Amino acid sequence: MTAYAELHCISNFTFLRGASHPQELVERASILGYGALAITDECSVAGVVRAHMAAKLLRLKLLVGAEFRLECGLKFVAIAIDRHGYGRLCRLISRGRRAARKGTYCLTREAVAAAGLEQCFILWVPATQPLKEDAQWLSECFGTKVRIAVELFLDGTDKQRLSTLEAIGCELGLPLVASGDVHMHMRERRRLQDALTAIRLNIPIAEAGWHLYPNGERHLREQARLARLYPAGLLAETVAIAQACTFSLDELRYEYPHELVPAGQTPTSHLRHLVEEGIQRRWPQGIAPAVRASIEKELALIAELRYESYFLTVHDIVAFARGERILCQGRGSAANSLVCYCLGVSAVGPERGAALLFERFISRERNEPPDIDIDFEHDRREEVIQYIYRKYGRERAAIAATVIMYRPRSALRDMAKVFGLDPASSDRLAKVMQWWDGGETLPDRVREAGFDTDDPVLNRIVTLARQLVEFPGFPRHLSQHVGGFVISEGVLEELVPIENATMPERTVVQWDKDDLNDLGLLKVDVLGLGMLSALRRAFALVNGFRGTKHTLGSLPDADSQVYGMMSRADTVGVFQIESRAQMSMLPRLKPECYYDLVVEVAIVRPGPIQGDMVHPYLRRRANQEKVDYPSPEVAAVLERTLGVPIFQEQVMQLAIVAAGFSPGEADRLRRAMGAWKRSGGIEHFKEKLLGGMAANGYSDEFAQRIYRQMLGFGEYGFPESHAASFALLVYDSSWLKYHEPAAFTCALLNSQPMGFYGPAQLVRDARAHGVEVRPVDVQESAYESTLERLEDGEPALRLGMRMVKSLSEAAGMRVEAARIERPFESVQDLARRAALDRGDLEALAAAGALAALSGNRHLAYWEVAGTERPLPLTPQGERAGSLEEGRPLLEAPTEGQRIVADYASVGLTLGRHPMALLRDKLVRNRLLTAADLNCVAHGRKVRTAGIVLMRQRPQSANGVTFLTLEDESGQVNVIVWESVGREQRRAMIESRLLEVQGELQRQEGIMHVIAKRLIDRSSLLGELLTRSRDFH
Amino acid sequence: MRPLTVQPMNDAVSELPAGSPSSEATLLRSVDAAGAPVDSPELWIGVHIFDPGAVSLERLATSAQRFTPRVSLVAPDGLLLEVKGSLHLFNGTDGLIRALANECGTAGIKPAIALAPTPLAAMVAARVGKPFIVTNAAQLVGRLSPLPLTPLRWPQDVVERLARMGVRTIGQALRLPRAGFARRFGPEHLAELDRLTGRNADLRHHFQPCERFRRRRELTYELENNEALLAVLAPLLADLGKFLRERQCGVTELECRLRHRHAQPSRCILRLAAPVADVARLTELLGERLSALTLPEPVRSCEIRSGLPVRRVLASNPLWQPGEYGGSGGPEAPELIERLRARLGHEAVYGLQMLAGHRPENAWSTREPAAVNGSGAANDSGSRLALFRSTQAVPAPPPWPAFRRPLWLLHAPQQLEEIDGAPRRRGSLRFFGDVERIETGWWDGGDVGRDYYTVFDIYGVQLWIFRERAEPHRWFLHGVFG
Repeated sequence: MTAYAELHCISNFTFLRGASHPQELVERASILGYGALAITDECSVAGVVRAHMAAKLLRLKLLVGAEFRLECGLKFVAIAIDRHGYGRLCRLISRGRRAARKGTYCLTREAVAAAGLEQCFILWVPATQPLKEDAQWLSECFGTKVRIAVELFLDGTDKQRLSTLEAIGCELGLPLVASGDVHMHMRERRRLQDALTAIRLNIPIAEAGWHLYPNGERHLREQARLARLYPAGLLAETVAIAQACTFSLDELRYEYPHELVPAGQTPTSHLRHLVEEGIQRRWPQGIAPAVRASIEKELALIAELRYESYFLTVHDIVAFARGERILCQGRGSAANSLVCYCLGVSAVGPERGAALLFERFISRERNEPPDIDIDFEHDRREEVIQYIYRKYGRERAAIAATVIMYRPRSALRDMAKVFGLDPASSDRLAKVMQWWDGGETLPDRVREAGFDTDDPVLNRIVTLARQLVEFPGFPRHLSQHVGGFVISEGVLEELVPIENATMPERTVVQWDKDDLNDLGLLKVDVLGLGMLSALRRAFALVNGFRGTKHTLGSLPDADSQVYGMMSRADTVGVFQIESRAQMSMLPRLKPECYYDLVVEVAIVRPGPIQGDMVHPYLRRRANQEKVDYPSPEVAAVLERTLGVPIFQEQVMQLAIVAAGFSPGEADRLRRAMGAWKRSGGIEHFKEKLLGGMAANGYSDEFAQRIYRQMLGFGEYGFPESHAASFALLVYDSSWLKYHEPAAFTCALLNSQPMGFYGPAQLVRDARAHGVEVRPVDVQESAYESTLERLEDGEPALRLGMRMVKSLSEAAGMRVEAARIERPFESVQDLARRAALDRGDLEALAAAGALAALSGNRHLAYWEVAGTERPLPLTPQGERAGSLEEGRPLLEAPTEGQRIVADYASVGLTLGRHPMALLRDKLVRNRLLTAADLNCVAHGRKVRTAGIVLMRQRPQSANGVTFLTLEDESGQVNVIVWESVGREQRRAMIESRLLEVQGELQRQEGIMHVIAKRLIDRSSLLGELLTRSRDFH
Repeated sequence: MRPLTVQPMNDAVSELPAGSPSSEATLLRSVDAAGAPVDSPELWIGVHIFDPGAVSLERLATSAQRFTPRVSLVAPDGLLLEVKGSLHLFNGTDGLIRALANECGTAGIKPAIALAPTPLAAMVAARVGKPFIVTNAAQLVGRLSPLPLTPLRWPQDVVERLARMGVRTIGQALRLPRAGFARRFGPEHLAELDRLTGRNADLRHHFQPCERFRRRRELTYELENNEALLAVLAPLLADLGKFLRERQCGVTELECRLRHRHAQPSRCILRLAAPVADVARLTELLGERLSALTLPEPVRSCEIRSGLPVRRVLASNPLWQPGEYGGSGGPEAPELIERLRARLGHEAVYGLQMLAGHRPENAWSTREPAAVNGSGAANDSGSRLALFRSTQAVPAPPPWPAFRRPLWLLHAPQQLEEIDGAPRRRGSLRFFGDVERIETGWWDGGDVGRDYYTVFDIYGVQLWIFRERAEPHRWFLHGVFG
């Protein structure tokens, strides 16, 4: 049999055309015994890294190429022969992608001719009616590298086509080669491929007609069949081409940018210079010898692995941010090195446990870059990004991609469209999926929602939608990663193609962070953190109000009152520890020092919870359980967490000290753990792990426990290196909350949206802590929320116009500026001086911000509606539209209306809680308030109701849903077990006002209601509206 | 003299929730003594239909003309009747409303009915669906005040803006300063409020029912001869021509009924592709149909009934004769089709169109032969019998060479006998050309998987056959090349 190599094959990274994953294609080609497989996605190499990794495992030769269709209709495939050819191919792809809007490309013959594809094979893919002129042009451009791709699909013209192409080949002297225009790895994907075509064209499949392929021949065909279809010479040519191509993605070598080193210095000497400067700054009184020794060791390792430029790059970015007074903080493995501490990248110094084991961050064995994430103020991250673009240029810096996958909802919606369901039904169908539902629950959910899954059409929709979401999920398009920057010394687009992102002036590379990792390319994560913005604002407010000079890390350390507040779980608004799960942990863990916060941040994570590490740790902390270690080595690793592994690093170190893993192996284990849900493959570590521990004399029980905990960690284990940096922000934000609640709340409001709680809860909490909060008022408010000085010199919080829904920032700023000039006399005056249009004025009226000018909301609306934009020539004093109008007979809004309007516009009310208005009725129904529940004993049956603030369904909680209800007296935490949730799903998901009947439980100061019955009482809220309407 | 007024006793009636479609509820018990004078110059009844899909408004209006000649349509779901003059005929408001509710009941609907001195008030009150009978103009505003603004059907934006000022009822709106209201919400809405309260006049178009032509001629003798029928029908057809000319209409359907002594009447229905008013043509076409009719018995009377008259757009006749100077596409194409249909039957003449699809049986379908008023078809040079036109939604041309399809496709594939797995038809078959594989159609349950071959049978006839891809791999004949 003649061997065969497939040279024209698209994966599902040619979005909505290819119907198989790159891995599937590679696996299938390997099973069929192909000599090689080329992945030639349309103007893209987005799928090749995945294919490359799979091909490496299966020892299949992978060729890298791309398919192009030029504007003139000419279609060809280019396959890289060597590194040079690959670079030019990437450059051509970049040209095409950059010249068109996101997701498309545009190339002309001139661009292709100028691309310098000498080191690429060019396969001409003729149209149905082959145009000889196309072949001739290609032949003139690329000479001997051109082949004519003969693609036969049993469409009834195979023989005729072959002879036509043979004639052209003969005339132009071009060799013919067999290829398969593969769209799927197996014929069985035909239906999916048809459906994808319909999605791509945005038409129902019944109308897709000739856009669909007539048959399923575009799959990886068996070699025996190909041998019957094609002349042997054409098949042999495929193998010849494959053999001529030597390029492998493994050849890609990364070079770090070099310009950060001043003339006359080497990267090593420059880094040392910066570190020495840092030492002077950090330890002005002199450095301890042990610390100095650690630094020397780190520097030696960095020099050995030639990572200086990486550290210099990170330092440069951080230095820029410092210069611009943008708060930032590094985290991640390498960030907690002493070198980074000295460079100012991180604030975790040796006294806080930095550099405990530098080798766990950078290892000699694995030749991959260290990982540093830098958090910047969310609002100002863009400045940093633009700095990087400016500094390195767009040819050398781009953001990593994120592959957006089909989710159950989007898959159902798209498939429903394919089958011509009307938009309303499609929507209803898509809505049955909640974000937490996995693909496997899809048929159940659809049935629960009252759809008949026996209906053949629905059945097809669900089956195909499942195929789209089943692991690892079909890619839908490329989006930009949150902030992973790729920076290179050479031209980046010769390494990986660059394309446009949705945001203007943003470019992304075609690979995502896993792809980059797999190839060992450098990436700096420039991330935005809302809390840093809030902290900067809070510091500015406090410093402005009190004349202090607080900033990140300068607050008084170890304030016991602050830790006391945390232990009471009084942490609304505080970084990281404000979530419900954290709040229920705080009173049990009772943090007393910085390191307790590091543990607190890391312990409330799915990893430790699933690995059952929380309870042992808490018991040992409370001295209820003896702490013992099987060996001194293990003790050294686990001592700081009382013998319970809590951090990801500890699990790695255990593998090293107990099972004899090398640091490099341990790191591979970490990555396998991170990905085992994605691709499996932790099994072969199991043997080594258990065997290693047995060999070192550990009991089987201990070994099994460690292994179980590792599995539990999965990808959800939290690294100590991140927790250490986060803990600093936890302390700072807690300090501000305790000592400066008004400024803290004000800063949070101005940084919205962020955090776990909305403005309503933040303001409610601030008022509970004695902060006076004043309403939005055009005569007083600035655009942002501000502090006003009370008579006793303490601050009050004035809500800003920023809170007003649908008021533009520009309009708000104009109002602020005009008012500073002089107060407004009337609505007309406001409209004229701040140049507000009707929409702005209505927004202000809706917020009640015009109360000082026109009275209640109804009157404000009346006045606003009568306000006309002044004509340009109207004299200042004269009132436009100053028709004398009678004062309208308008009733004042009721309390209920006021509350509803407050929520609708500002998102919170300073009046009574809506539940207070319903209380009489609720009391009659024997429903208890949140405050009442505090006096109820454990185990009693209770009924309560509240507005649903939050619904949570952590993946670690086995289908349990946590609800937070709020009424006028406080919040109630409700736990809904999976069975209850399943039966009463509608009430659980759709209620705005929910009544819960169940059992009250108390544990270590935490109170829950275990729901038995859920009743949707949202209609009462509606009644609040209608009743207030009926009153007059 | 102070006019004597009668006030309905609303309070005695328990109010139903708004929107409840009950004619009983909307029927008011009032003490309107028969013949008691009422003071308003007009009295309007508003009828609101909750489910406008259930009944044709025109039909309802026609039957409502029983109560008053002044009936107006308020599309899509309302009817207004000016009933002042008819009250005494129906024993006062009560009697009239009851009679109207009964009339609606026979049409199968239960509308909400309200009575007020202005048409808009009556309509608005009916839409609210609560009992509302006001005969005294002085009481109108007071009774309208508590009603919500929504039944006025003002633009959503206006209603929302008013609601934001706390204005949700008609009364609240009426209390606003007039100039200020007009400035904020536009004079048209103020004008509407004025029409509502009777401050401004509210003129309504009166409904006129649609007519059809129907004429009958009794014969003094028994007619046996088909040919003579046309002569007998001629005066009727002449009347029809006059009827249509007066209304500038044409007909698309015409029925001729011939009555016999014993047998069921013979019916002859003529369907036309385009509205026709020309009596000569109608006569000609009818003649074609009548000549094909077999009469069971002699004819004793005949009748012509028209379908719904359709407004006709009059066009100039072309200067050229058909075929002259390329002037082909005149009105003669539909004429030909009509003549063929008149002779061969309606279904025997149809158009063809190509559909985008790989399954041969789904690649074409029949359709009405070229819409006559449409611009394209009449000018189609190929408009003879089969008028080809592809469907609009598929812009791309077929990627496969359509000419390889046989012109004659069997309605259903015919299974072929086999010997040793080789298909046979009237002897062995000789294969020729390439195989064509078609696998598609899974989405509508018509999944096919076939390998098509072109073969010659022993008589040299070129056939199109296929083999199923699935077990048991049977062979079928699907078409014959010309």
